[in-house]
Amino acid sequence: MTDTSSFLPVLSVLLPTVAIPFIYATREKPNIRETVTLLAAIGTLAAVWSMTRLPVPPVTSLGSIAGIAFELRVDAAGLLFALLASALWLVTSVYSVGYVRTVGESGQTRYFAAFAASIAATMGVAFAANLFTLIVFYELLTLATYPLVVHSGTAEARAAGRTYVAYTLGGGVVALGGIVLVSVLAGTVTFTAGGIAGLATADPTLARAAFALLVVGFGVKTALMPLHGWLPAAMVAPTPVSGLLHAVAVVKSGVFALGRTVLYVFGPETTWDLGVGLPLAVAAAATMVLAGVVGLRQDNLKRGLAYSTVSQLSYIALGIALATPLAVFGALLHVVAHAFMKITLFFAAGVIYAETGQKYVSEMGGIGRRLPVTMTAFAVAAAGLVGFPLVAGFVSKFTLIVGAADGPSPVFVAAYLVAGLLKLLYFWPIIYVAFAGERDSDGPESRHAFAPPHATDGGHARETGWTRRSLRTEATPFLLAPVLVTVGGAVALGIAPTVFPVWELAETVVVEVFR
Amino acid sequence: MSHLLPLVVALPVLGAAIPFVFGRRFPTSSRRVTALVLLGQVGLAGAIVATVATAGAQAYVVGGLPATVGIGLLADELSSLFVLFIAVAAATLYVTVRTDASGPTDALWLLFVAGVTGIAVTADVFNLYVFLEIAGLAAYALVATRRGPRAALAALHYLLVGTVGATFYLLGVGYLYVATGTLRMADLGPELANVGYGSPLVLTAFALIALGLSVKIALFPLHAWKPDAYAAAETDVAALLATLGSTVPGYALVRLTFDVFTVDFLDAVAIVQGALVTAGLVSVVVGGYLTIRQSNVRRLLSYSSVLQFGLVVVGIGLATPAAVTAALILVLANGVAKGGLFVAAGLYEREFGAYTVSEYAGLARERPVLAGAVTVGFTSLVGLPPTVGFAGKWYLAVAAMEVGDWVVAAVVLLSTLLSLAYAARIVERLYLSSAPSDGPVAADGGMDTHRSRRAVAVTVLAAVATIALGLGSTALAEWFAPVVEGWV
Repeated sequence: MTDTSSFLPVLSVLLPTVAIPFIYATREKPNIRETVTLLAAIGTLAAVWSMTRLPVPPVTSLGSIAGIAFELRVDAAGLLFALLASALWLVTSVYSVGYVRTVGESGQTRYFAAFAASIAATMGVAFAANLFTLIVFYELLTLATYPLVVHSGTAEARAAGRTYVAYTLGGGVVALGGIVLVSVLAGTVTFTAGGIAGLATADPTLARAAFALLVVGFGVKTALMPLHGWLPAAMVAPTPVSGLLHAVAVVKSGVFALGRTVLYVFGPETTWDLGVGLPLAVAAAATMVLAGVVGLRQDNLKRGLAYSTVSQLSYIALGIALATPLAVFGALLHVVAHAFMKITLFFAAGVIYAETGQKYVSEMGGIGRRLPVTMTAFAVAAAGLVGFPLVAGFVSKFTLIVGAADGPSPVFVAAYLVAGLLKLLYFWPIIYVAFAGERDSDGPESRHAFAPPHATDGGHARETGWTRRSLRTEATPFLLAPVLVTVGGAVALGIAPTVFPVWELAETVVVEVFR
Repeated sequence: MSHLLPLVVALPVLGAAIPFVFGRRFPTSSRRVTALVLLGQVGLAGAIVATVATAGAQAYVVGGLPATVGIGLLADELSSLFVLFIAVAAATLYVTVRTDASGPTDALWLLFVAGVTGIAVTADVFNLYVFLEIAGLAAYALVATRRGPRAALAALHYLLVGTVGATFYLLGVGYLYVATGTLRMADLGPELANVGYGSPLVLTAFALIALGLSVKIALFPLHAWKPDAYAAAETDVAALLATLGSTVPGYALVRLTFDVFTVDFLDAVAIVQGALVTAGLVSVVVGGYLTIRQSNVRRLLSYSSVLQFGLVVVGIGLATPAAVTAALILVLANGVAKGGLFVAAGLYEREFGAYTVSEYAGLARERPVLAGAVTVGFTSLVGLPPTVGFAGKWYLAVAAMEVGDWVVAAVVLLSTLLSLAYAARIVERLYLSSAPSDGPVAADGGMDTHRSRRAVAVTVLAAVATIALGLGSTALAEWFAPVVEGWV
């Protein structure tokens, strides 16, 4: 039993990796190729799920690189992230099949292979037992997602790819500097709930420097302003990539690494004793509000969603930075809640693009008639992000705000409230335009309320109105079913959050960190 | 067992006679013999490593003379591994990508192997000079075997600069002899301590030796010969030289600094340590800058060595166990990655007529496996996990932070971004630019598919080796540890 269960974390990394050669081998037969992806996704999810049920030995060693143990470890925080990513990979795989076929993407084999590689790296980030193992998979994740960002091969995509790699690998190098410094200061880089003891007694200036390096390094993927520039640029990627990787896997890897740094390397106490918690909290609060304001001005739907992600990630980062038990609990819940809601929004944006070719809010007047289910799901998920009750976002935001009230300053509570208001201002015009607007009408109900109109190509034939479609014919089930699953998940998490394993896992994390 | 040691040097020297004498009349047989000699060399090297692993370091004096006057050889963990690396690289490249089999040049190939093997196993600073010259002369001649004025000029340049470097080294050896009266590495350490590290003789000797070897490893600003020679040579010669030509002198610099001059010398004379670190850092920064500016791929790869050897010299200058380990790992990492990349560059030249970065556009579609292996090679040069280049940089960064040298730590980490700037350019070109629609262009009358397949295999082998060495970097460091810890 011990033998098989100690293999489980390895299996979760290995399954998506092993899928890659099979994906290439079956490239001539797309149906089999997609079956391989789906089987790998189901297998990975099953492996991760079984780890929540079985007693898994704490550490699985994979040898050692450069004198540092290369180890995987299963703990509550890692399981929470792995469970989230593997579950959404399965959903996204189904969606990807519908999306790439409807849009007719080229290079589909490379697309599915890179996707599997990204998930393998994400599993490694989740189960890394120390900072060193984490940075290895963190960098691999950058490499694996690069082909997806530049997928279309256009000049714009290539420029975005360069920005992406420069930001993320640059961040990786800075974080690596921090890791080396931690290793020199504390003699170990292994995650310890509540913090590595050696760091509390180390030279405070150097410890602060190490914290700063780690936060700036991981802050890139967390998209803390002003390190967020890559995220809106990366929106040139196909929509499922934006959905799973740039709203869940990549950015959450950043925030997860940040959480590991604060909770498992420095520990909440040392973080605040060193006086580095406050600057991080201020940066996160500022990002939350600023990104909300910038997001208002985006007419391109995906760019707007990207800024919303920047803002939402800082909700989590702020919760981690405040490091009160409730704030951390809320941050962990928000990792999951935001993932379900944001991926729904991206899926919806993808359906809009795949079915109608529209990318701009100002051209979506009345699109709710053409895509009734999709836009309803969009509205529900958006309501959740704003913080309406009965959707996942309410539970996590409520906990975050209560947790922030225990924090050093009421300003942070206010920041959460202002950011929530900005979310409302961002999403309301989109939903209003979608349901109350008219296609190609210039009336106020059909325009984006805040964004300047984008340049149009002009001269195309004016089309009048959207054809009303029935629920069954608005899009292929491959596209529609995932939207329903993720929005259903978001609602379920809002109504009965405690029945999901994430609740228990988040509780375990808080208990072990704040012993 | 220790008779293996002279044999590993003698075999390629004696073997070189066969292609030289019979190469013209029996080209096929002499090629086979050359290959057999190189494979035999691999066997000998493997046996030496096995002996060192079981019985520890082996010393040998040719002809049973007293150690002070005889030709001494030494195989410890360090030298035996380099001997094995030399043998494997030379044999692999010969049986897979060697193109020119006209007798005499095969003799040069073997002489080069004999020279670099000698550098690795010698226990005597003068013999090291002899082997340096053997390897050097063979290398100059190998570059010159390509027809055309460009190769001739590059070979002449290489010859002049290389000879000046070797002469500096010889002068340094002369100063050492004047100071101590011995040339044996094992005796020089204590003798130099007796003379006193402040002695101008000792200082000058170190300066000359370091300068001479800096030419061989092409440290900035002594690097100009390298891009010329490596870009002008035949592709197989370029691959051989890129794998071993600077790698072994890099090893020699480590060996001489810590075995002959010892860490006490570095501690006593702070300016030497500072000079080494500074020279290394300058080489990293300028080398990186020059690399980014290259358009010819082979020149780009050569300049990237300037950066890599800068890191090696920084490691030598820091002189802590982690730093020396880093220097050794980085030397090997660069050798393995460059070997594979030069073979790939040769294949792109012959098969697609692609010499510059922009001509690489879209070639990944033509040869996906090759492009994948090239990407891994560049990943190691950039220093991303889990490759061996990452392990080397990690050790170096740890060493810099342990001694609190933050500037060094910062430059080491930021060198990753410098390397990324050139590596990303090539990889992006390979994968993303639309391929020329008229299919592969045969540059010189088509390509023997067997040979092209073998070239791809070598590149893949190098890529696998960079990852395997990365995953096994702890074992590698532990293998070096007895020697490194004996030094520092």
